[in-house]
Amino acid sequence: MKILKTKSLSIGYDNKTVVSDINVMLNEGDIIALIGPNGAGKSTLFKTFSTHIKPLGGKIELFGKDLMSYSPKERAKLLGIVLTERPDDMFLKVFDVVAAGRYPYTGMFGKLNEKDEKEIKESLELVGVNNLIDRVFNTLSDGEKQKVMIAKAIAQNTPVIMLDEPTAFLDYPSKIELFSLLKKLAKEQKKAILFSSHDLELMLRYTDNLWIISKNQPFAAGQSSELLKSGTIQKYFGLKDADNEYLLKENL
Amino acid sequence: MKNKRITIGILGIIILGIVLFALNLFVGSVMVPFEDIFKVLLHDNTDKTLSVIIFNYRLPQALTALLAGAALAVAGLLMQTLFRNPLADPSMLGISSGASLGVGIVILLTGAIYGAAVSSFGWWSTIGVSLAAFIGAVLVLFVMLAFSSRMKNMTTLIIIGLMIAYLAGSITDILKFFSLKEDIHAFVIWGMGSFSGVGTSKMPIFAISIIIGLISTFFLSKNLNILLLGEMYAENLGLNIKKNSVIIILVSGYLTAIVTAYCGPIAFVGLAMPHIARFLFKSSDHRLLIPATMLIGMDMALFCNLIARMPGFDGNLPINAVTAFIGAPVVISVIMKSKK
Repeated sequence: MKILKTKSLSIGYDNKTVVSDINVMLNEGDIIALIGPNGAGKSTLFKTFSTHIKPLGGKIELFGKDLMSYSPKERAKLLGIVLTERPDDMFLKVFDVVAAGRYPYTGMFGKLNEKDEKEIKESLELVGVNNLIDRVFNTLSDGEKQKVMIAKAIAQNTPVIMLDEPTAFLDYPSKIELFSLLKKLAKEQKKAILFSSHDLELMLRYTDNLWIISKNQPFAAGQSSELLKSGTIQKYFGLKDADNEYLLKENL
Repeated sequence: MKNKRITIGILGIIILGIVLFALNLFVGSVMVPFEDIFKVLLHDNTDKTLSVIIFNYRLPQALTALLAGAALAVAGLLMQTLFRNPLADPSMLGISSGASLGVGIVILLTGAIYGAAVSSFGWWSTIGVSLAAFIGAVLVLFVMLAFSSRMKNMTTLIIIGLMIAYLAGSITDILKFFSLKEDIHAFVIWGMGSFSGVGTSKMPIFAISIIIGLISTFFLSKNLNILLLGEMYAENLGLNIKKNSVIIILVSGYLTAIVTAYCGPIAFVGLAMPHIARFLFKSSDHRLLIPATMLIGMDMALFCNLIARMPGFDGNLPINAVTAFIGAPVVISVIMKSKK
């Protein structure tokens, strides 16, 4: 099922276009890696999708309706984000952070009912950190924090989850663990997942679908094997023959 | 287990508040014997002087301290969460300085224009001073509102607040230069802060204004909690950041303006009390922090008032001299702890 679609979307700040003419689609169960060098516009695209900034041109459709036409509360139930930014508070507990995901569903004083409590616990279980529920968020490791933020997005119960650089501060085993978690979410919960990274090799190894964003090239999207075969990746990342041989030898 | 801890904590703060309130009634330059307090309160006494001291002076003063303490403390809590800065409070946004400027204009200019000290205008002077403080505070508030709706960066806003405070302060200093001696004296006295300015006649309006502000803060608790995750997350969870900031600034500014108008600019209560509440309950949940901060603010104000009124000081010790002694160490320890 089609969830999100862009039509000749232009993104940027104050009429300074960063990337233009983006035509992509996000379907149920998709996992897509948004890849590109730092400063190419990955965060700008994320901020546009989360409506923190407005699109400069074109359109974003979420379930066939213009993304900007939803009310903030409605949108909060459709699209959840996980950023590199972390809550920084001395006493904020893991439970509180995940409970924040229930904000769009609770009443005036934010009182959690049994269903909310259940969703919070299940989200923590799904990412495998239910043992951390009473810990203070600030005392966790980077990997644990990342998982708790993902649990927040799961508790938010949205069909789309977008993660900005989720592997950035993780060690290698944690990165692999994160990929299998995202795959599980896409497969079992039918979520559409978009995440960004600048780690090309890792993405080629573990993901099938790529969106490539680059400063001087048009926005590209497709299966990683095809993009590799057609030479698009080599061209976009300015790879030399030696790198190319390595990629082909490793059969990525 | 956790709930029990919270209940005991809240009860402890309330009991301490009751004790401090009682002490406020019978400690002062005239010591009222303990058993006489009840006689006076139950209208069962013949001593007219005691009755006047308690009903006309000490009871309104204690009530003022109670309400002002709660208002300033919770206003500080709102600002700290909004700016995600442990050192934010309404005085940092220039609101207290705006109020001071308003008061300065009335007290200092009437003398320069009419050639008579404002205190000689009697009853009108207190109304004029209160109104001026309120106008000054609200004016600064709207300037800050204009800035806050145009920029999302909270650090910039605090710097603008500090600059407005400096500007208001220097205008006040220029006014002082042209003013009568007795006016400057009156202004300096007001600036020291006191809970004795409200009295019985103005108590109903003061109390109602403060209580409305206090109640409205409870409706902000859900949004304040969500703000702790950071603005981008809060926005993604459906919070309208601009509208929410405007409401929080309005409520905390309103509370500060009223207290400053009646009691003078009182420092440190707004800054320090929220930290005591957080550390006492080890919580970030505003549904708990809002009432806890109010109650601790009440205790603090009652305690400071008691110290300022101790027999040796004859009621002349400025409240600000006392609040700084308690507030400054709290702020320093918070900074030390958070840097670890």
